[in-house]
Amino acid sequence: MMRWLTTTDHKKIGIMYMASTFGFFCIGGLLSMIIRAQLSEPGLSLVSPHAYNQIFTLHGTAMIFLFVAPFGIGLANYLIPLQIGAPDMAFPRLNATSLWLFILGGLTVLSGAAAAGGAAASGWSSYAPLSEIAIATGAGQDLWLIGILMTSVSTILTAVNFIVTVFLYRAPGMTMWRMPIFTWEMVATSLLILMAFPPLAACLCMLLIDRHLGGHFFDPASGGSAVLYMHLFWFFGHPEVYVLILPYFGVITEVVSVFSRKPVFGYVGMVLSAFAIAGLSMGVWAHHMFTTGVVDNPFFAGVSFLIAVPTGIKFFNWAGTMWRGAIQLSTPMLFAIGFMLNFLIGGITGVLLASPPIDYEAHDSYFAVAHFHYVIGGGSLFAIFAALFFWFPKFSGIRLDERLGRAFFYTMFVGFNCTFLPMHFMGLEGMPRRVYTYDAVAHLPILNLISTIGAGIMAIGVLLFIANVVISARKRVPAGDDPWGGYTLEWATTSPPPEFNFTKLPPIRSERPVFDLHHPELTAKAGR
Amino acid sequence: MKTGVGLFTSSAIFGIVIATAYWFFSHDYAGVFLLGLMAAGLAFATIYAVAAEREADLDGDDPNLTQPQAAGEDMGTFTTASPWPILMACAVLVTLLGAIWFPFLLFVGIVAMLLILWRLGAESSRVGGA
Repeated sequence: MMRWLTTTDHKKIGIMYMASTFGFFCIGGLLSMIIRAQLSEPGLSLVSPHAYNQIFTLHGTAMIFLFVAPFGIGLANYLIPLQIGAPDMAFPRLNATSLWLFILGGLTVLSGAAAAGGAAASGWSSYAPLSEIAIATGAGQDLWLIGILMTSVSTILTAVNFIVTVFLYRAPGMTMWRMPIFTWEMVATSLLILMAFPPLAACLCMLLIDRHLGGHFFDPASGGSAVLYMHLFWFFGHPEVYVLILPYFGVITEVVSVFSRKPVFGYVGMVLSAFAIAGLSMGVWAHHMFTTGVVDNPFFAGVSFLIAVPTGIKFFNWAGTMWRGAIQLSTPMLFAIGFMLNFLIGGITGVLLASPPIDYEAHDSYFAVAHFHYVIGGGSLFAIFAALFFWFPKFSGIRLDERLGRAFFYTMFVGFNCTFLPMHFMGLEGMPRRVYTYDAVAHLPILNLISTIGAGIMAIGVLLFIANVVISARKRVPAGDDPWGGYTLEWATTSPPPEFNFTKLPPIRSERPVFDLHHPELTAKAGR
Repeated sequence: MKTGVGLFTSSAIFGIVIATAYWFFSHDYAGVFLLGLMAAGLAFATIYAVAAEREADLDGDDPNLTQPQAAGEDMGTFTTASPWPILMACAVLVTLLGAIWFPFLLFVGIVAMLLILWRLGAESSRVGGA
C-alpha cells in the first residue's frame, strides 16, 4: 500500500490516474441514471428540484473534470515515456504531486454532497451569478471551487512535465518526427492546457474572492460583469473540449493503424492537423456566448467552422489507413469504428451549432446536450474503452476476454445511440437542458422514455466491462509482450514493463520501430 | 529540439496573429486581453526555447544514433518513491480550506508546504531528479 502511495514511477501513477478516474466515471454514471429516471416520464418527482440541480452539476463535473480529461492524462503518463523510449517522466515527484492534487481535488468536489446545503448546484460551468454567495449559499459551491482549482493546477503541472519529457528525454534515434501519433497528440494537448487552464484557475480564484473577500468581479449590481465570467470560463471551456478529444484522436490513430496492419496514412497531416485544431480552438470560445448579443458572432462562427477542416483531415486519414488494410475486428477496433461513427454525428451537429442562426434556436436545448454527448460520450468514452482493451495487456500482462468485449461494445453502441439520438429531437421540439421535469407535449414523453431505456442498456454494458476485468483477472490468460503485433516502442518491452521500462531498445529508424524489428526484410527494402 | 523550437515559435506567431485579428474584428477588451496574455506566454516560452536550443545536444535528435552508441548519456537520476508529493497535495488542500474557513489551517498549510518544499529540495539534491 505504502509503495503505491509514495510511488513516483510513471506507470503506477498512470494506473492510479486511470483507476481513480474510472471510479469517478462510475459515480458520474450513477448520477446520470438518477437524471434519466427522473426524466423518464413527465411530472415525476423522484428527487427534489434542488437535489436534481446538484445531481446534474456533479454528473457534468465528474465526467468532464474527473474522468474524460484526466483519463487521457493517466494514459499518457503510462505511455509517453514508453513510446519515446524514456525511463520515466522528466519530473517524477512533480508527476506524483499532480496525481494526488487531482485525486484530493476530485474527492473535495464530491465531498460537497455531505456539506450543509448540499453539493454545488450551478452546473458544471458554475456560471456567475448562480455561483455567487447570494444564490449559492452552501459550502458545497466552495468545495467545488477548491476541488476544481486543485485539479486545474494538477493538469497544468502535468502538461509541463509532458512537454519537457517529450522534448528532452527521447531515446537515441527517436526524433520528434518519428514519435507515435498518440505522443504528438499529447504534445498538442499539453500546449493547449498551458494556454487554457491558467484563465480557469484565475476565474475560480476571482469567484472565491467574490464569495469570501468582498470582491465584485462578477456582480453586475456592484459594477462587475457576469459576461466576464463567461469570457474567462469559455476561454478555458472550449479548448477543454479539445483537451477531452485530442488524446483520443491519438488512441484511435494507433488502434486503426495496428488493426488495419498498415502504417498511419498521412502521418505529417495527422500531426499538423492536431496543432491546427489546438490553435484554432483558442479562438472559438465565444461561440458559447452567441445569444448574449455582446460578442462578435461572425468572427467566432468563422473560426469554429474552420476547425472542421483539420478534423476532416483526421477522418480522411483514418479512412486512408483502413483502406485496403487487413482489418481485424477485435474489440479495440470495434470501439475505434464506434468512435468514428459517433464522433462524426457530434462533429456535424457541432458545425450546425457554430452557425449563429441555428444556435439561437438550439441554444441551451437538448439538441446541445445531444451534440456534446456525441462528442464526449460517443467520441472520447468509446476511445477510452478502445484504449483499455488495446493496452490492458501491456498494463497487466493478461488479456481481456474478447467475447465479453464484443458483447460490451454492441451493448454500449446500441445503448449510447438509444440514449442520445432522441435528445436531438427533444431539443428541436423545445425541451430546454437542465430542466427538472417537462410537460407531456409533442413527442417528449416517448423520446425521454427511449432515452432512459438506452441509459439502462449502457449501465448493463459498463457492468459487462467490470465483469470482464474481474473474470480475466481470475483466468489470467498471458498476453505476451506484443499481443496485437503493435508498432510503437511500448510493445518492445515486457508486459508489464520493468522499472525504468527497457533493458534494451531496438534501433529506431522510423515511426514504427517494433514493426521494423520484426520485419527486417521490409526495413531493408525501405532503405532504413 | 529544433522541431520543438519551431513548435513554440509558430504557436507564438499564431497567438499574435489571432489576438490582432480579434482586436480588428471585435474591439473587445476581455478577449484581446486573454489572447494577448496567451501570445505573451508563448513568446516567453519561445525565447527560452531558442536560448536553450543553443546548448542542446540531444541524442534523441540524432536520426542515426542507436542505444549502444549513446551509452553513457547522462539523463540524471530517476527516483522511484517519495513521501513528499502526497503530503504536498494534502498541504495544498489544507491551505485552501484554511483560506476560506479556518485561518489557523491557512497558517498550518503554508508552514507545511514550506517544510515539504525544503525536504523535497533536500531529497532531490541527495537522490537526484525533480
